[in-house]
Amino acid sequence: MGTFKTVNPGNQPVWVNVSNCKACDICVSVCPSGVLGMKYESTSTLGAMISIDHPEACIGCNECELTCPDFAIYVADSKEYKAAGFSFAKLTDEAKERQAAIVANNYMSLDVQGVK
Amino acid sequence: MAFNYDKYLRLEKMPTLWCWGCGDGVILKAFIRAIDKLNINRDDICVVSGIGCSGRFSSYVDFNTVHTTHGRTVAFATGIKLVNPDKYVVCVAGDGDALAIGGNHTIHGCRRNIDITLIIINNFIYGLTNSQTSPTTPKGMWTVSQKAGNIDPTFDTCNLAIAAGASFVARESMLDPKKLEKLFVKAIEHKGFACLDILSNCHINLGRKNKMVSAMDNLAWIDSITMPKKKYDELSPAEQLNIFPTGILKEDKEADEYCDMYAEVIKVHQGNRKVISQNDFAKKI
Repeated sequence: MGTFKTVNPGNQPVWVNVSNCKACDICVSVCPSGVLGMKYESTSTLGAMISIDHPEACIGCNECELTCPDFAIYVADSKEYKAAGFSFAKLTDEAKERQAAIVANNYMSLDVQGVK
Repeated sequence: MAFNYDKYLRLEKMPTLWCWGCGDGVILKAFIRAIDKLNINRDDICVVSGIGCSGRFSSYVDFNTVHTTHGRTVAFATGIKLVNPDKYVVCVAGDGDALAIGGNHTIHGCRRNIDITLIIINNFIYGLTNSQTSPTTPKGMWTVSQKAGNIDPTFDTCNLAIAAGASFVARESMLDPKKLEKLFVKAIEHKGFACLDILSNCHINLGRKNKMVSAMDNLAWIDSITMPKKKYDELSPAEQLNIFPTGILKEDKEADEYCDMYAEVIKVHQGNRKVISQNDFAKKI
């Protein structure tokens, strides 16, 4: 049964339904600000799973949610998120550099070495 | 709370059987968002799909659905639409489904201009049966059925549909889900045959032997062979070779729709009007 976690689990800008994720790297590649990365996970498809390394850098662009083929990643609705007293970050140069580094690191998190 | 796909899906079938990174999932999500945007009642839409990876589309959406035989999506959909002219009918087919075995049905659906939306998920290969040459496989690619390299020329789906008489023809790739969603909204709202050529990836069966082994490599290749129509028109004919223009390529709102025509035939048989003559068409029935 694939029940979806469309409700925000505790005021996070972006969250993952790990039972649906197939570790295709697409969300990591489309993120502009280096929020996501892949980590080794032996029980998962392809042996990897998304990890949300820098939620504080999320700009709420929704790209990862739109391009995920498997209903696995969700981004908070900007109105609700702001109403709850939070706000998305602005895109910084540091975040862009981090994203470029993650892509160069085969979409793996920066503290993980190698290919999945 | 993020966008709620749950109410449009058969949750007991999840997660999808598609491979990791498959464009079918992106197209499915864009389609569901388009239905949500149009605010269509789930009972007022019928999704018809054929055989292939794209055939699973109808299993996942919780609308009226028909999973039909190979290539016969448009044939089944024509029957469904004629009986229910006030409902929305959407066909989903792959490139092999809609252009090879079902090529005949596709062109005659286009010719009749019946109010159906045909979504052709074009991944350039027969994915489900493990990489045989499809009508859209580019020349020179490795396939199981042509191991020396594909020598078959390819179909241009959109030009085929325009020539056959479809009144709404568009091409988009799954790289931009927002554009895809807008395109689906327009195509479903359009009265007449809408033929959509949606370029998608199959890094498993196309990419594996063609140097695009990850989803990202395949998407980069799709990005390199597509171009917005405005930019494409400025290119010289030599540069246009092997590039696909994206966007709406044809939109004709004036064309006669088949269900409207058929209503006139029903009137004749009910004795409410004389037989339809050639002159009637000159001034629109």
